[in-house]
Amino acid sequence: MTTKILLALTLLAGAVQAQTVTGKAFGTYVNALGVTSQSPVATLPSSGGMATGQADAFGVAGAVDASWLNAVTTGAVDNKKSGAQSTSELEQVSAAGGAITADVVTAVATAYFGQFTGGSDGEGSGFTNLIVNGEAITTEVAPNTRVDLPGVGYAVLNEQIPTGDGLTSWGMTVNMIHVVLQDALLGLTTGEIIIGSASSSVAR
Amino acid sequence: MNHARHLSLALGAVAAVLIAAACHDAASPQGTITAGILPGHDKGGSQCADFRLTGGGRVDKPEPETGKSPPSSHDFATFGFQARPDAACPFGMAGSGNIEWNEHLGTQFGGGFAFHGTVTMFSTPNDGTETNPQCGRFGGFGRLNPHNGPTEEDVSFEVNHACDVDEPGVGKDHIYMRIGPTADGSIYFRHSLLSGGNIQWHRLTGNN
Repeated sequence: MTTKILLALTLLAGAVQAQTVTGKAFGTYVNALGVTSQSPVATLPSSGGMATGQADAFGVAGAVDASWLNAVTTGAVDNKKSGAQSTSELEQVSAAGGAITADVVTAVATAYFGQFTGGSDGEGSGFTNLIVNGEAITTEVAPNTRVDLPGVGYAVLNEQIPTGDGLTSWGMTVNMIHVVLQDALLGLTTGEIIIGSASSSVAR
Repeated sequence: MNHARHLSLALGAVAAVLIAAACHDAASPQGTITAGILPGHDKGGSQCADFRLTGGGRVDKPEPETGKSPPSSHDFATFGFQARPDAACPFGMAGSGNIEWNEHLGTQFGGGFAFHGTVTMFSTPNDGTETNPQCGRFGGFGRLNPHNGPTEEDVSFEVNHACDVDEPGVGKDHIYMRIGPTADGSIYFRHSLLSGGNIQWHRLTGNN
């Protein structure tokens, strides 16, 4: 009996605890040769709401070219249900000197919490007409697919990084193209390029 | 001003119904009006709302199909929105919020477009989805930015319904977006189950 009362009180406390959401999305981030450059970032207020970041075009010579960059994050917090969903999209994308191109790059990251359970996912993320090292990729790219980029380094495509403890917090970061630049002789990391990034999380 | 916009929005919806010739759930080609007798629009008026909606994600195939279009297809859109009534019931249907809608299908409004809308009306739906208590309807005006054409301001839009069916929302939550008519009379709409993201319905409590 006592156990049942304690369980009920615990669930009740969980239901009325303050929840928080985070959301972030951006089109491109480049860190190469000591120079950092980033397209407009959408950052969700901690209380929820909506934020956007847009640019008609964005380019860093030799690293990335893209147009129609759109980053959107939305979310809401209340005692019974909270959620955050972030999207990042770019068109006419060329990365790493043309080693990777795509008509459209779409990142979607979602995190949610109902009264007693939560979750996160990267459903909806994808590429349209992706070409890697001159080869067209005609199927869906599985999460965390690594491809070598000769003379450049390597890339992780559809990189999905879960966050949170799965009990009181849930989150997901999706980076659709994550290029790791490496020194050709020593293999040391010299920089990185991230294209199409979306992150969302909830905590109770 | 707001009253005028509400009237204009309502007249736009009526015009869409009257002009329409055939129901078509997919996105409409540029320069044509493919909206039909919009499903359920004869089922009575909307009601004031005591809830708010947020959502974002991706939509591909027309409802009731689910899933993403093939990787070679541009036939999808992404979106994000927040919308709420300006005051709880029974004080009318004025609303506030924003919506971003990005269409990639090249036959739409000049090679695809980005739409940035401001919400001025918020209510329960009147298209048949009002039987689900976690559906809402909102509309307003915004800037249409085609990929290959001039930007057009003050274009009306209406989310006939956005429905929070379950958590997570992929394959369950659904949204019906209509934009236009534009200056050349075109109307766009897309009606889909979510292929990514989520829609959430939140009852207004006075604190949110």
